[in-house]
Amino acid sequence: MEHFRDSAAPLKIASNLVSPGHFLFHSKKPSGPPASKVPQKMDKSQQPSSFQQLEKLGEGTYATVFKGRNRQTGEMVALKEIHLDSEEGTPSTAIREISLMKELKHESIVSLYDVIHTENKLMLVFEFMDRDLKRYMDTRGDRGQLDPATVKSFMHQLLKGIAFCHDNRVLHRDLKPQNLLINKKGQLKLGDFGLARAFGIPVNTFSNEVVTLWYRAPDVLLGSRTYNTSIDIWSAGCIMAEMYTGRPLFPGTTNEDQLIKIFRLMGTPSERTWPGISQLPEYKSDFQIYATQDLSLIVPQMDAIGMDLLNRMLQLRPEMRISANEALQHPWFHDLPQIQAKLQQQHQQQQMAGYGGMIPPQPAY
Amino acid sequence: MAANYWASTQRRHWLFSREKLADIREGLREKDKVAHSQFPLPDQRLLNIYFNQRRLIQIIELIKLGKRMSTRQQAIATAQVYLKRFYTKNEIRQTSPYLVLTTAFYLACKMEESPQHIRFVVGEARGLWPEFITPDVAKLGECEFALISELSSQLIVHHPYRTLSELQTELSLTSDEIALAWSVINDHYLTDLPLLHPPHVIAIMAIIVAVVFKPTHPSAYPGTGQSALAGSMRDGGGMQMLAALSDKTGSGPPPKIQKLVGWLAESEVDIKAVIECTQELVSLYEVWEQYSEKSCKELLGRMVKSKNLDK
Repeated sequence: MEHFRDSAAPLKIASNLVSPGHFLFHSKKPSGPPASKVPQKMDKSQQPSSFQQLEKLGEGTYATVFKGRNRQTGEMVALKEIHLDSEEGTPSTAIREISLMKELKHESIVSLYDVIHTENKLMLVFEFMDRDLKRYMDTRGDRGQLDPATVKSFMHQLLKGIAFCHDNRVLHRDLKPQNLLINKKGQLKLGDFGLARAFGIPVNTFSNEVVTLWYRAPDVLLGSRTYNTSIDIWSAGCIMAEMYTGRPLFPGTTNEDQLIKIFRLMGTPSERTWPGISQLPEYKSDFQIYATQDLSLIVPQMDAIGMDLLNRMLQLRPEMRISANEALQHPWFHDLPQIQAKLQQQHQQQQMAGYGGMIPPQPAY
Repeated sequence: MAANYWASTQRRHWLFSREKLADIREGLREKDKVAHSQFPLPDQRLLNIYFNQRRLIQIIELIKLGKRMSTRQQAIATAQVYLKRFYTKNEIRQTSPYLVLTTAFYLACKMEESPQHIRFVVGEARGLWPEFITPDVAKLGECEFALISELSSQLIVHHPYRTLSELQTELSLTSDEIALAWSVINDHYLTDLPLLHPPHVIAIMAIIVAVVFKPTHPSAYPGTGQSALAGSMRDGGGMQMLAALSDKTGSGPPPKIQKLVGWLAESEVDIKAVIECTQELVSLYEVWEQYSEKSCKELLGRMVKSKNLDK
């Protein structure tokens, strides 16, 4: 059973679930059950979970996510059920996610409250968030577009979460609207660390099969295997533009199409603008040549200072991209306190107006 | 591997004082006195030598994790730390150490992003210990699940290797010194030191040992500093020099050591802890001389077989 070492974990759970470890190693009788023997059946009905499982929230590659209620406190949680595979043991992605979440505690990162081991599955108990950014934009935005104040508040929280990861030597590698979670208080948090990796010792053999195509940085698309924190910044830039327009900035279909979509807007790079580019595995000398477009034509909703930040995030050359900490210092965020106060006020008005904490279908701005 | 050591679960949950560690082990012993008198086992460090020196390295060589030496060593080191942590919560006499070791290695490979196929790992382990590992791969999966649980899913381990490479330039260490310090770090996993001190203290200990006790003859044992260092560390001359480290006015050691002393004085490293680590290493090299593979194998075999721990 998970040992409740984290005193901060607000949930007291699963005290009656028995882990396989219990059977494997805690045999009281000296000549008791053999050490590696696990009972094939456990009477689950006698060991009710401390969580009431509610509706399914989503289905991932290695897990199913349910909404859950803590029977003792009534608190809502997200339950991520991980299936074990007899050929793979506990999935690597799950192991990576759990172990990283155990280390990364931050207000802009979804909290992992607990890990429950049952006889044939792992259940991760996460802080409950109402929806992901994708669905938030679909339901709350005006044809997917968010108002400038909300975009600024979300971007600041996103960059804070990224900065924290990077300060802790962790790359997320898979930032996209579906992995950013929003709650009723208007908080945005990073979730789904299944593809995240720690970069303790420099490793030049990262798999290049990470980051959903639309948010994937050009250096990764070109086959670079020495990428670093800057790949998360590229994704953040794409998300910023998408929040304004309601549409993905570079909706590519294949690796090559993704590169072309990026070049068409940002201009085709060359050895002159990006020294060393021709050495990258996926580089082709006959890439169609495009001139750099003005981003403000594509994202007309954005003000000039915001545009400056966006341009710094969407630099083709990874080493030219702004860092998360620098981005947080960008002048665009100087009026953030006023913006937050305004959002706070609106939030309270909505509550008073009887929405009861529900997010209204239309923004009130 | 990851994240920030100062806020890490390693620092918060897996760093013990010597007294605390002794208490924990006494507690485990108390719970199962019978097994303890029935199945005496060699010094834990000798068991560690048995499992690491001969076996684990061999598996690694067979598997050829491919990548660079550092990745390979990192996975071994992580597996060793998992074992140590696991046995602070479980009495070794209630487990099959062969299965736990294989599992720790399998899990560490996943964590260090060099995953190995479960069938492959079981196959290799069976090749080494045919009498103790069953061909049923599900056992490994179950044991992995239990291991993750016993480790409270806190699987990210910070190792001293990183500090070592970070300090290489700053202290202008030669490649020989780095290699020796690297072996000293490998050796410290055979002791309790990973549970007692933070990785940077270990790294600095390894650097000091490498610089102060330069071995006169090359190591006969690649990967460990035992044969290279055991003699010169016992001679005592080096120990006096080491004692001089805590006395900041140290009298006239060679310039390289002076530089190191100067750097240490300015850093805020706990010199006392560093010296304690050095002593632990000396004592490891002493115990090492009593090592007998045969006796480890027999004692473990008797325990595992008569308790049916391998089924």
